[in-house]
Amino acid sequence: MRFQQLLHVRRLASAGATTLMRRPITTTTITTTRRTALAATYPAFATTVRTMAGSGAPIPELTEITDNVQRGNYATLTDKDVAHFEQLLGKNFVLTEDLEGYNICFLKRIRGNSKLVLKPGSTEEVAAIMKYCNERRLAVVPQGGNTGLVGGSVPICDEIVLSLARLNKVLSVDEVTGIAVVEAGCILENFDQRAREVGLTVPLDLGAKASCHIGGNVSTNAGGVRVVRYGNLHGSVLGVEAVLATGQVLDLMSNFKKDNTGYHMKHLFIGSEGTLGVVTKLSMLCPHSSRAVNVAFIGLNSFDDVLKTFVSAKRNLGEILSSCELIDERALNTALEQFKFLNSPISGFPFYMLIETSGSNGDHDEEKINQFIGDGMERGEIQDGTVTGDPGKVQEIWKIREMVPLGLIEKSFCFKYDISLPLRDFYNIVDVMRERCGPLATVVCGYGHLGDSNLHLNVSCEQFNDEIYKRVEPFVYEYTSKLKGSISAEHGIGFLKKDYLHYSKDPVAIGYMREMKKLLDPNSILNPYKVLN
Amino acid sequence: MEDYKFLFKIVLVGNAGVGKTCLVRRFTQGLFPPGQGATIGVDFMIKKVEVEGEKIKLQIWDTAGQERFRSSTQSYYRSAHALILVYDISCQPTFDCLPDWLREIQEYANSKVLKILVGNKTDRDDREIPTQIGEEFAKQHDMYFLETSAKEAENVERLFYEIAAELIGQARSKDGSSSAAAAAAQRQSEGSSIGLGSFSAKAAQSNCCGGLASGGSNSSQGG
Repeated sequence: MRFQQLLHVRRLASAGATTLMRRPITTTTITTTRRTALAATYPAFATTVRTMAGSGAPIPELTEITDNVQRGNYATLTDKDVAHFEQLLGKNFVLTEDLEGYNICFLKRIRGNSKLVLKPGSTEEVAAIMKYCNERRLAVVPQGGNTGLVGGSVPICDEIVLSLARLNKVLSVDEVTGIAVVEAGCILENFDQRAREVGLTVPLDLGAKASCHIGGNVSTNAGGVRVVRYGNLHGSVLGVEAVLATGQVLDLMSNFKKDNTGYHMKHLFIGSEGTLGVVTKLSMLCPHSSRAVNVAFIGLNSFDDVLKTFVSAKRNLGEILSSCELIDERALNTALEQFKFLNSPISGFPFYMLIETSGSNGDHDEEKINQFIGDGMERGEIQDGTVTGDPGKVQEIWKIREMVPLGLIEKSFCFKYDISLPLRDFYNIVDVMRERCGPLATVVCGYGHLGDSNLHLNVSCEQFNDEIYKRVEPFVYEYTSKLKGSISAEHGIGFLKKDYLHYSKDPVAIGYMREMKKLLDPNSILNPYKVLN
Repeated sequence: MEDYKFLFKIVLVGNAGVGKTCLVRRFTQGLFPPGQGATIGVDFMIKKVEVEGEKIKLQIWDTAGQERFRSSTQSYYRSAHALILVYDISCQPTFDCLPDWLREIQEYANSKVLKILVGNKTDRDDREIPTQIGEEFAKQHDMYFLETSAKEAENVERLFYEIAAELIGQARSKDGSSSAAAAAAQRQSEGSSIGLGSFSAKAAQSNCCGGLASGGSNSSQGG
């Protein structure tokens, strides 16, 4: 097992060395609204290209081989199967060539070997595909925008890729109730634009906005930078329609906030990463978009001051607080070193916070945030910073936060962890890890969604090596587990973390997960090799 | 705040490019940032100084010049103890805008706020506004006056230390006397001549200011 993991991570080294911005090909981690501002200044940002083998980056080895994956007991695709699908969907929507963009994951860590991509145009077609595959014992991987970070959306062996890309319509947006009904393959940003046309917004915002699908977001219970304000998708999603592995359509759509009738089965499809069913449609409660947005970028001298400032933000900005992000000195400096166009308004502090407010009255909000800053300075917690309500400048500040993860993978190999930890112990792991790695690591840093207790712990080194790997894992999972944290706060389990699930879920729970999987997908054809091992 | 007897909030305003950020960075960090870009928003920082034996904290808010005349309340004016209005002595338009800034200050700031007019960039040899013109404008509008060069570090420390000293004086007069209100009222009514006179007089006594400057560099700013 360890050998498998080693190989696995080793490939990440080449992925890390080939990412982003070295070529005029950027990934999807910058939202379009923000990218527009970036593109004006930096032409490299103007194009968004999905991670594809054609990008010129080295193609990883087949995961089946590098990770020594035992292929499940599934049938092998035949010409007859392809002909069946062509008849079902039409030839244009059955792809058998140039499939690398579907086979390789966003980080270029995983490469499957699928020979077939299906692009159904309706729930009925999805159902017909699943029914056929279930009868034939053909394995299937549902795929949205393929922006996941744990290898959940790509085939591991030769699973058929079921792309939801054609199910991309926003079916309705009700400005009175705030409820929108949307198909799974709608790109998050397009969905948000439609919502904004009637003064609403999608309660989810994340870096991959311009290419991720709302169905994928729901299937992975994606987090992002607004969870502190709007909660996670278990609250926002009112209903889903899912196609089960058997081809049955499970209609759990609801247009009401309140619906206590029976078991709340929709939640099974939020965050189960396509292993229990294929989400084809959903309804979402969209809040009204905020007229006034202010952002403060703050320098602090200690993590203790960070916590005090967080508490103060909750207390004094609670009703308008829409983001509360932490960036440590090393994370910021790495981004500033890698991207010379970035300007930080302040420097020389061990910690930085990005605090955003969104409200309905600019004057009131500005007064609240200025008061919050003034009080923080008076208590000596806030040392230095900048605050703005100008939309262009708000984006300038967000740009700093968004470039942080990219800076770390620009020129190094990077071990990336996405963990939830109790806030009191939130940052200790970064120092502990730095000490453990010593000179083996070039950068050990932390940033992330402080408001959600979600830390992105990063360990960079010049290139992958066994010595540092053994110091990092499984220590990071053991440490997180001891603090009752989560080993995957928002990225999910997918393929990459399935061996570590037990660090965050007890055996009884995992046992019932297996039972549920068996009940809903008796032949285990849906997204195999993921979540459960 | 435990070690600090006073905390004063100072806000800098004025047109874009007059050198507000450079004045602040020179004072708080002792440096003159070359090729300084436009300030993103409103920068805020803390500078700890010692004046007349008192440890004080200055909370400095450096506004972005181009954000002027916004319709919002400019809430950072409201609780300011001192407002520094900056123009560039080599750029007439920045001086011509001063009445606009004063209107904004009048609208949003506390009427008793300490106002200081600063003509910055005395290092430049293409001066357009003679010292006397700036001085007269300040006198007319009940403001203190000082010319500075952030680049040459000229009068920058003096500017902030004088403000601190003046604010300490005000605070003490309020604390120490039961007729604080009367004293404040008197200060107001006597207006510019006393205010300006005392500030200018202090500014002229370089020994006094030098002493203050050297004694007050216990900054924790900038790390």
